This record gives sequence, C-alpha cells and structure tokens, in this order.
Amino acid sequence: MKNLNHLIAIVIFVTITSCGRGRGSSESSSQTAEVGVTDSTITIGTWGPLTGPAALWGNVPRGVDAYFHYINEKGGIHGRKINVVIKDDGFQPSKTVAAVREMVEKDKVFAFVGGVGTAPCMAVKDYIARNEVPWVSPASGATHWAYPPQNNLFSTYSLYFDEAFVQVDHIVNSLGKDKIAMIYQNDDFGKSGLVGVKIAMEKYDLELVEEVSTEVTDQDLGSHVAKLKDSGAEVVIMQVLPRQGAIITGTAAVLGYAPQWITNSTLSDTELMHKITEGRWAGVRFSGFFNYEADVDMEGYQAALKDKYPDLPWTTFVASGYYFAEPVAKALQDSGPDLTREKFIQAMENIRDFSGLGFGISFGEGERQGTRGAAMFECSENGQAEQISALKMSELNLDYAIEKLAEE
Amino acid sequence: MIGQLIMTGIVAGSIYALVALAMSLTYKSSEVANFAQGEMAMFSTYVAFVMLATYQLPFWVAFGGSLLFAFLLGLFLHLAIIRRAKDPNVLNLLIITLGFQVFLYGLAGWKWGSEQRVLKIPVSQTETVEFAGLIISQLNLATILVAILLMISVYILLRFTKLGLAIKATQQNETAAKINGIPTRRIVAITFGISSVIGAVAGILMAPITTLDPNMMIEPLLKGFAAAVLGGFNSLAGVVCGAFILGIVESLFGFYISTEFKSIVAFLIIVIVLYFKPSGLFGTHYTRKV
Repeated sequence: MKNLNHLIAIVIFVTITSCGRGRGSSESSSQTAEVGVTDSTITIGTWGPLTGPAALWGNVPRGVDAYFHYINEKGGIHGRKINVVIKDDGFQPSKTVAAVREMVEKDKVFAFVGGVGTAPCMAVKDYIARNEVPWVSPASGATHWAYPPQNNLFSTYSLYFDEAFVQVDHIVNSLGKDKIAMIYQNDDFGKSGLVGVKIAMEKYDLELVEEVSTEVTDQDLGSHVAKLKDSGAEVVIMQVLPRQGAIITGTAAVLGYAPQWITNSTLSDTELMHKITEGRWAGVRFSGFFNYEADVDMEGYQAALKDKYPDLPWTTFVASGYYFAEPVAKALQDSGPDLTREKFIQAMENIRDFSGLGFGISFGEGERQGTRGAAMFECSENGQAEQISALKMSELNLDYAIEKLAEE
Repeated sequence: MIGQLIMTGIVAGSIYALVALAMSLTYKSSEVANFAQGEMAMFSTYVAFVMLATYQLPFWVAFGGSLLFAFLLGLFLHLAIIRRAKDPNVLNLLIITLGFQVFLYGLAGWKWGSEQRVLKIPVSQTETVEFAGLIISQLNLATILVAILLMISVYILLRFTKLGLAIKATQQNETAAKINGIPTRRIVAITFGISSVIGAVAGILMAPITTLDPNMMIEPLLKGFAAAVLGGFNSLAGVVCGAFILGIVESLFGFYISTEFKSIVAFLIIVIVLYFKPSGLFGTHYTRKV
C-alpha cells in the first residue's frame, strides 16, 4: 500500500511538472518570438503511418514534406525555409498522442499540416487545441474537424457525406438510374458514406434496394456480392478500402454481375486499383476533390518529389499531401514577415477560392470546412482518371447527417 | 442461388482446410498451435511474388521455389527457435510462435511495404467454368482441386510411407518412438516444414483474389484455427470437415441472415460445439497426453 502511495505521488509529481514545463515554455517563447519560428526557419509538424498495416497512407506526410521541399527550393517564405518534422504513428492513436506531444513540446512546431486518419487525429484534437497550435487538413473526411468550428483547426478534405451527395446526384441526374445498392465498411468511415447516400436519396424519394456491410478483414465476399446481385441493383456504391474493392469487383465478375460501380476518393488511386484488379477497374466512377487539370507547376511538384524521395512515384496519396499543404504556404506568405500564430490563423481565415490541386478552398470566420464540393471521375481503359463532371457543391444538411450517423 | 452459395462456401472452406490442416499437423506432432502459420504463408507468397515480378521467372519455378522456401522456413522455426527454448511449456511455445508471427509481419511490411501487390498465376480468376447450373471461376476450381489433392497427399504420406509412420509414432508417444530409434526431433522439424508448405499453397491460391499485402493471412488463419477447433484439433479428417462446414455455414449465413455478423458466426459455432463436445465434432477425446 505504501509503495502504491509512492507510485501515485510520483505520477502526480511528474504530471504536474511536465504540464508546467509545457505551458511555461510556450508562454515565455511567445513573449519573444513565435514558437517554431526563427529568422531563417519555420517548423511544421506532420505524421502518418510510415510503417505497419496502414503504411499505404504514409505517403501523405511524405507528400507534405516534398511540397515544402518544393517551396524551399523556390526560396522559402519571407526568407525562411520550412523545416518539416515527420513522425510515424503506425496508425495507432496511442502513438499519435506521443508523437504529437513530442512535436509540440520538444520540436516546438509552429503548426501541424495533415496527420492521417480519423481515429489518430481524434486522439490529439483536444491536445492540439489546448496548446493553441494551428492545424490544417487532418486527412479524414469525417465532420469532427469543422463541426463545430474550432479556432485553430482547418479542414480541406471533402466530407464523406458530401461525396455521397455528389455520387447520388450523378447517379440520378446523369446516369438516370434509381435501383441503387450499397456495400460499405462496417465502421464510421463506411457508415458516413451510407448515411450520406441515404439522405441524398431522400430528396428523390428513393431508397437503397440493398445495403451490405463488410468487415475490413473479410477476404471472402461471395455472399455479400450474391446479395447485391440478387437485389437487381443497376448501380452499386462502394465505401470500402482498396483490397475490398478488388475482391468485390472480382467476385462480381465471376458471378456475371456487372452493375455501374461508384465509389469515393478513398479508391481514387486509379493506377493502383487498375493494377490490382487486372483492368476490371476500367469504367468505375468515383467522386473526388482533385482537379486533374489544375493550374499548378506540376513539373516542379514532381521534380521536388523526385529530389526528396527518389523511389516514390507520384500517386494520389502523395498528391493529397501537396493538396493539404498548399493553403498553408499561401497563409504563411499572406501573414507577412512578422509571423505569429494569430496572424497565420487570420490569414487562413481570409483564404477565398484558393485552388491548388483542388477545385477551390474557402474559409471564413467560423467557417472551417474549406470545401463542400466534389467532381465525378471515371477510370479509363488504361487506368487513368478522367473527369466526367463539373464540380458539384453538396447541399446536404450536415446537422441532420451527423444526427443520423449517431443513430446508425 | 443456394447451390451457388454452397459453392462459394466450399471455395472458402478449401482455404480454411489448408490452413487448418497445417495447424493441426504441427499441433499433433508438438502440441504447439503455431500462430505464425499464417504469416509464414504470407511471407512465402511474397517470395513467389519476388521471383515472378522481380526476377521474371516462370510460374512453376517461382511456385516450386516458394514452396522450398516455405519448407526451409518451417525447419528454421523449429530448429533455430522453438527447439532453443529452455524447458518450454505449451504457453511459452505459443508465445514464441506469436513472436515469430510479429517478426515476419514486420519484416514483410518493412521489405515490401503495405501496398497491395498482384500475384499473377496462370489460372484465370474471372474466366468461369459452368456445370450443373453453377458458375465457378477457374481459379476457385483450381483451389478446390489443389486443396483436395494436398489433403490426399497428406493422407498417403501418413498412411503409407515410412516418414508418415515415424510422424505418427512421434505424435502418439514421443518417448517410445525415440526408444525405437526414430529421430523424433528431426521428425517434428520436418512436420513444421510440411505444414509451412501447405500454408504457402493456401497463400498462393488466395493472393490473386485478395491481393497480396502483409495483412492477407490474418483472417484465414483465425478461420483455419476456428475450423480446426470445430473439427477436433487432433483429427486431420475432422479439421478438413470442420473447414468445409465453416465455409458453407458462413456463406449461407451471410446471404440469408446477416453479412454484418458473418465473421462472428465462426466463433459462435465454436463456442456452441465446445460446450457440447469439447474435443470438437470429430476429435477423439482424451484427458491427458502422457
């Protein structure tokens, strides 16, 4: 018992002192200059699963890094070079907490850009807010980042709800189909798509003819696809991960079932999907927030990637790292030479219709979701993404959708 | 529709059967439920992938090479790791296999990354064969046939060869087998090798459909384990039957009742079976191996 008391005392002591140190340092440094900013550098933090089962998404933070390398090569911002700190969290929220604490307290980052995944980002959301570190573009289409709005946090990823809206709009108005079924991953990600689709269909007085859930580990989707086929759906919406997408279309091909497949930005890496499905992905349509004809220095972007990560091909995940970081560079520029977090947040708020790799990002006072639209794309015969519709803005009532998702 | 669903179940069951067979072989010879079995199969499948994609070797060379690798990996696990354990009890051995699993998983992720890879094999996964009104892809048909062939081979090996006799003798009574001049340690090591080869075949048959990544064997291993428990861990025919029952029940359950609970049904069945028949459906009951 005595030992236990000692232990508790030690834990309390350590906690108090470490909290004190964290707060003290940020206060004292803000009196002199801003945290993470020197005369010649600005330190930016980012993280993602560089290793482990979700390592495919590790290319997002690498993309962020390569983008700032591009900016540095062009001379930096107001004479300062961007110094990027990348941490590996293996997609494990407990590790994210440790990584982010380290970046805030030891590396003293000025701001965060990116950070991959709903669960890891949720684990650090409050901590980052408490420390008043600006955070742009968590890589997740959940609504937790901008609803309700939070002063330090800006979201540029299109919402799963909004993508669902755009998909349904495309199916009903462009394809003219109304027998729609859905297969979704049995978690927050999959259900966001499901709820979005259902709400968007209400407008047209339609209901899904079949809804089938899958687990992320499922390998045999025979009975899932049999159900979809049995429903007679002409269009099937998939809200799943790449492996499941490959298994679903393969199983359907065997059963002689060929609906119009529709999916979202998660499966927008057409090159990868085309390869792992041995060409079956051709003709699949998906919603996405990349403008493939964007007016950016594509050559410079790709050269910077090659310079920084010679083995890494230019994929959707890398590109999204660039997309997440673009508005940050703009806001840093707009903040002027005397950079502070306050000025930076102000500059982020003032961003209107900024289009880098995306279709246009706007923020405002109390408006923290940068984009509410998406366009539709199709995978071509040779695995390229082709845009087939203009940008469509979502009209989904988010409060209603959030409420529905909680019920699901 | 029901015929088609049963067919789907048999295909899934074939994979479960191979994994279950592999697990049950090592279990019988060493009382170790080898939880690294799945990752060993995954790793061997990557070896086949490297030979095919990087070195452009013909499929059969890559296939043979991968199986040879799998055999050596099995030997390695037993000779270099399990046998080195000091005074091991069953729990220690189990943890050793879990450790080996984590090691292989990490190594594969580090070496090949976690993006999906394509394993190209000369059997089509979308061209179909039709008989009795049922559609089956060539690859699925091949999966069933190879699985059956392998099961028969294991049966012949155990029943009609000297090696098989030695394996069985070691399984039944290691001390008595040793006294009779059977090199029991070598026999157990060989059993690990054979199990690993069976697992690798399952991996290679699965990879073209599910795509190859370090996570590919996690679910089949659990299902194979479930099938082995269901059928009775110490009866090889039992685990195979258990695997097919599991595959078919899952498929029917998923279609008629709920896909959401499809993955759980396997474990539900196990709980029920173990409650009424603790040694599995086809297992012979014994209180303690002496």
